[in-house]
Amino acid sequence: MSAVTCELCPRACVIPEGGAGDCRIRVNLGGKLRATTYGRPSAIHIDPMEKKPLYHFHPGAPVFSIATAGCNLHCLNCQNWQLSQRGGEEMEQVYRADPPDLVKAAKEEGCKALAYTYSDPIVFYEYVYDSGELAHREGMYNVFVTAGYINRKPLRRLCKVLDASNVDIKAFDDGFYRRVNGGTLQPVLDGLVTMREEGVWIEVTNLLIPTLNDDLAMIRKMARWVRDELGEGTPMHFSRFHPEYRMRNLPPTPGRTLDRARKEAMDAGLQFVYVGNVMGHEGGSTYCPRDGTLLIGRAGFWITENNLTADGRCPTCNEKIPGVWT
Amino acid sequence: MIQKIRHPRPRDLKFLGLVAVTGLTIVLYLDTGLRLAGETGSGWRKLDLDALKQKIESGELREREAEWYHPATGEETRGAGGTIP
Repeated sequence: MSAVTCELCPRACVIPEGGAGDCRIRVNLGGKLRATTYGRPSAIHIDPMEKKPLYHFHPGAPVFSIATAGCNLHCLNCQNWQLSQRGGEEMEQVYRADPPDLVKAAKEEGCKALAYTYSDPIVFYEYVYDSGELAHREGMYNVFVTAGYINRKPLRRLCKVLDASNVDIKAFDDGFYRRVNGGTLQPVLDGLVTMREEGVWIEVTNLLIPTLNDDLAMIRKMARWVRDELGEGTPMHFSRFHPEYRMRNLPPTPGRTLDRARKEAMDAGLQFVYVGNVMGHEGGSTYCPRDGTLLIGRAGFWITENNLTADGRCPTCNEKIPGVWT
Repeated sequence: MIQKIRHPRPRDLKFLGLVAVTGLTIVLYLDTGLRLAGETGSGWRKLDLDALKQKIESGELREREAEWYHPATGEETRGAGGTIP
């Protein structure tokens, strides 16, 4: 029997013939590892860029978003568990969409970006890479929405085709990762640094779960790490938790917890801190860090006003706002 | 001391039988769960191989060779808890 060792993520699954990796979709068939969901997404939607969330990357642009089954984390609060915690053979709905089909469909729908999202696109790496390469050749962008639990070598190669990424730091606590997500923290931080080194536009998300990761001291520590390692202009999104999957015993995040987290991160020196999953919150809009001018107003995922200049500056003080605007 | 003489009745036996069956079900459930946990805790998962092959044959899934892997070394295999029987 010829087992194989997967080198894609820090799990380093040793997979016997006929078995799958922990992600459920990388399968050892005949002594070779197979990417069974290559070109076979189970979710395809057109979303606004703000849904990823990416607030400083082509605001308002429609994004052709795809995902296949499988994930290499197993978050107790997963919001897409019907997709992420299943193998390809368990899915009722599968689309035939090889990379050329994907790029063609995205263009026909008027999208200038592809997003690899919903589950964790790390596990369908080859599909992302090939689609991304093709999308670049067609003048499109690639957006990667991930928890960042990947080894540095494959990530560095993947970065060649990525333009922007939203990376979810689940908590700035390794114990939390082990208990709630089935992973570890350090590879995620290493991945973020790798993306920064490779020039990928990064935004960070942190879902605040009441009593589990809403400690202000931990949030401060995380914000300082983001400021020091990724830069003070890195957008940070604090998202509201909703009870899901195996974590229905906790209430949604109170608004004041999100406000405190936002204030803490801004006090730590981050210039763009947002509140997500709360309709109409002032923390959903972008303000100039120098004079407080409203730059981009948002209501949920929708842009209500955009006052940025064409070259991404504050119209009042001419401050250059970090981001990829055009 | 006065003691009540109690004769077992058919409904008592049925009740005891029900308790035994429930107990057995719980033991089997826990045993299966523990065995599966032992198998999947070593970095790989069992999957419905027949269903997978069927979906590959029909074109619903793919057999594309993945990147980023190598044949497992002896040491890695020993640490992974063996192979699928």
